[in-house]
Amino acid sequence: MLNNRVRELRARYGFTQSDLGKQVEVTRQTIAFIEKGEFSPSITLALKLAKALQTNVDELFWLEGDEKDEK
Amino acid sequence: MKNDFRLQYPLWMMGFIVVLGLLAFGLSSPVTEVINERSIVISLGPVGTIFAVGSIVIYIIMLTIFLLKLKKHNKKNPAQRISPFSIRPPEYLEQDEGMTYITRKAAQKVYTFITWSLPALAGFAIALSMPRLYIIFGILLVALGQYWIYFSEIRKHLKEETE
Repeated sequence: MLNNRVRELRARYGFTQSDLGKQVEVTRQTIAFIEKGEFSPSITLALKLAKALQTNVDELFWLEGDEKDEK
Repeated sequence: MKNDFRLQYPLWMMGFIVVLGLLAFGLSSPVTEVINERSIVISLGPVGTIFAVGSIVIYIIMLTIFLLKLKKHNKKNPAQRISPFSIRPPEYLEQDEGMTYITRKAAQKVYTFITWSLPALAGFAIALSMPRLYIIFGILLVALGQYWIYFSEIRKHLKEETE
């Protein structure tokens, strides 16, 4: 299971799911699936999301149980 | 997304399958054959006629509405055009990796259903010596089932996502 901070960082920058989806060229639904942890994005999409949210991939995504990275 | 015609496509197919079932029932009802020296006249009974003619009329009406909606969809979504003659099911949602993921999950469920339902139907047909009409109904039920499974799985994901 992949945990993430997409929702948190998206809210910090005031993006809607649609806004973020447009920036990384996916649908709003896909952003929602990622935020819920229902779907693990590809490396390409993870990099795009990290860039859009001005962070690193390992700050944005981490494996469940990997507490050292849980923010 | 909710108004995406590709989401409604399985429901339309289910509707066409039901109409096909009504037509099969109508055409399989008792017939009267009048054989003269010159010609053979085959006429359906009143119930058969109602089902056969009624289903053809319903089919034409549905097909007209369906094609109009298809045209409207293609006009609004030139990048995601649907061809009624496409071999690839147009209900696949593959505009990005998230949608491809839920499409794959739905397609896996459909495949699981097909792998047991078709052999089971064949088994019943052989073991019970089912009449032709019942076999047709069985095939149509499997077709209905696969569209329902696909539709409900996609809807489940998109419904959860909006909550």
